Amino acid sequence: MVQTNITIFQTSVVEEEVHMTMVELCQAASTPADEIMSWVAEGVLSPAGSSPEDWRFSGNSLRRARLAASLTQDLELNTPGVALALDLLEEIAELRARMHRSNLL
Amino acid sequence: MKFQDYYETLGVARTATQDEIKQSYRKLARKYHPDVSKEAGAEERFKQVGEAFAVLKDPEKRAAYDQMGSQWKSGQDFTPPPDWNSGFEFNDGNYGGDQSEFFESLFGRQARGGQRQQRRSANMNFKGQDHHAKIMIDLNDSFQGAKRSISLQMPTYDANGNLVAQERKLDVTIPKGIRAGQNLRLTGQGGPGMGEGGAGDLYLEIAFHPHPLYRVDGRDIYMDLPLTPWEAALGASVTIPTPDGPVAMNIPANSSGGRKLRLKGRGIPGKEAGDLYAVLTITLPPADSEAHKEAYSNFAKAFDFNPRA
Repeated sequence: MVQTNITIFQTSVVEEEVHMTMVELCQAASTPADEIMSWVAEGVLSPAGSSPEDWRFSGNSLRRARLAASLTQDLELNTPGVALALDLLEEIAELRARMHRSNLL
Repeated sequence: MKFQDYYETLGVARTATQDEIKQSYRKLARKYHPDVSKEAGAEERFKQVGEAFAVLKDPEKRAAYDQMGSQWKSGQDFTPPPDWNSGFEFNDGNYGGDQSEFFESLFGRQARGGQRQQRRSANMNFKGQDHHAKIMIDLNDSFQGAKRSISLQMPTYDANGNLVAQERKLDVTIPKGIRAGQNLRLTGQGGPGMGEGGAGDLYLEIAFHPHPLYRVDGRDIYMDLPLTPWEAALGASVTIPTPDGPVAMNIPANSSGGRKLRLKGRGIPGKEAGDLYAVLTITLPPADSEAHKEAYSNFAKAFDFNPRA
């Protein structure tokens, strides 16, 4: 096992400080551009800007894009299936959070 | 090394058709997908199911596996017989996960990544891959901000092209106000690039260790606040332990159980700080002595109260 020690001072909180271009999101979510575009068309991701060249994705898009990529690859879901799964997962997360607040979980 | 019964893992008979195998795999993959399932050990099961499918969906691998015979049971100590796979040729794709020792001894170690892996080419510039990892921190780290030393293992290729685990220790600054589910980006700490491409980034997804007192929901924090019946009825001033230290809180008279009292801005700090909610629970003292029983009787006499009316 090789070991290295690195000290980092520079970190940024993706969800608050980062906006990504198409190229950056493709890289960060390890996903080809055409797949990202199909998710935007389906409403899975909602970037600001009118055309793919000026799209700006909020930091939250990274989590959604990675989830969409893993569902697409592991379960072979198509685009509408991914969109539905993401909506339902979000709803379940909200219900779980509500139970958690009342200490029911 | 332990034998793995791939048919058992997928819950199919040894005589199952390719369609039956695929169907069973799909069902189990949905059930145990780590992004979908909340079951304990789901991720481990998902990997096992994926590995079993990688072997059984491939006619050559399945035939080679079948050749070892059906006398083996999962978990039995196992050493592959010499030349067990002679006459079979595996043309390997990639499997998107970590394989068991059993799998590796039979089919060799596979690089991770599948379609997501970048093609390598000698005279091109590529940015390195972005890496993702999860780290657990204490809720307190988000209130105070913190420096945390974390160690990460990453698969890398050595000079001979073999996949080796590399351990890195990183001293990371945890910014004050970070919330569960958010990602920290460490620029240039991902995979090495090709040519002029530069290194990729490292993303660390934050999760909190569970806290005995506080339940975190986004920016807000919830805690149970037990009260006596008389505190809830008459009102009281109680001291509650917030992550920032003890705070005096006024309980209004005639508070009922389940009521949420908000301490504005006492949740996770930030530009828009979260709130802290004390969820009132009313605790009845047991009537375990004559004096206590009498107190309850007097209580009953003083009220004309029927909660079922």
